[in-house]
Amino acid sequence: MEGDSYPENSFEFFGPVIDWVERFLKDSSMPLKLELKLVYMNTSSVKAMMDIFDLLEDAYTQGRQVSVNWFYDPRNERVLDLADEFREDCSFPFEIAADVR
Amino acid sequence: MSDKPSLPQIDAEKELIRHIETLLADPAHEGNPLREPLARLLEQNAGQRQRLERLVRISDGYHLLSRANSETLSQQYDRQLRRVEKLMRISDRYQQSLREISEALREASLHDPLTSLGNRRFLMERLGEETGRAVRNSTPYSLGIIDIDFFKSINDRYGHDAGDKALCEVSCAIRDSLREYDICGRWGGEEFLFILPETPLDLAVQVAERVRLGIENIRHDHIDYRITACIGVTLYRYGEHYSDTIKRADEALRHAKEAGRNRVESRL
Repeated sequence: MEGDSYPENSFEFFGPVIDWVERFLKDSSMPLKLELKLVYMNTSSVKAMMDIFDLLEDAYTQGRQVSVNWFYDPRNERVLDLADEFREDCSFPFEIAADVR
Repeated sequence: MSDKPSLPQIDAEKELIRHIETLLADPAHEGNPLREPLARLLEQNAGQRQRLERLVRISDGYHLLSRANSETLSQQYDRQLRRVEKLMRISDRYQQSLREISEALREASLHDPLTSLGNRRFLMERLGEETGRAVRNSTPYSLGIIDIDFFKSINDRYGHDAGDKALCEVSCAIRDSLREYDICGRWGGEEFLFILPETPLDLAVQVAERVRLGIENIRHDHIDYRITACIGVTLYRYGEHYSDTIKRADEALRHAKEAGRNRVESRL
């Protein structure tokens, strides 16, 4: 996922994404790796991302292979701090790296 | 809840039961008429005790269950609270950075990136404010327009970099020649505008003269002649729109150009 997120109805927007993650974690045993390049998020999008990370955390504690790579624009170091806040309660591999491309 | 406490009362009861059992078992009391009801009483007592113990066990069980439940609830509550706090923290940071971006954009939208003076939009905002203030307080402002003489020839002879550098030097000279509460900015091209709040025209002419000298006295290391400028000055007239004031200052400026450049001209 990449870009800015401020949907008018974030439940409608993120609902299918969350459903997909849930279904994927339930129906398959393949590793799940999320690549994120998120810049701006409104409050309800932050909530949705926290829900997704919670799903990953639950799966991880049950032995599932999950990971997150969060790329940020080195010109915008704030995103680094924000990604770090998100990472706080996650015990699964969660990398935050400058996007040099 | 676990082991039953060994109270003296219970010990005494056990002692009594043991005593009665011994008496009942003794063949010497076989014919005693009290023996039979006593045996029944003992049996009833044993039944009662069993029921009581069962009751206590069940009630203890419920107690444990509800305690476990309320612990999970309070854990859940704490977890939700932490989540909400985290959500607010992250969201506040996003909001903060948006605010800073919009502040930076506002700054950028009001300033000329080359000279870092206020731009035309900035000047028009300030003109609106100063006009309002002048009318309210009956203290008119003076306004001046500065135009660099033969600016085109600097660009033509020394290139645009030299022209840009000259604009920056002139900007500095203008700013340095004005008073702290005066307002100036780049009106466009090689034109600058200044507003002198609560300043009569004769004083404004003196300030403009200082600005003209400031520009004339710049030492350029990339241009081998002195840069000069003309300045047209006027006073705000009550009731007019500031665009009329600007028009009048422009007329004075044209007059200065016609009269031979490097001059200050004023119009009341």
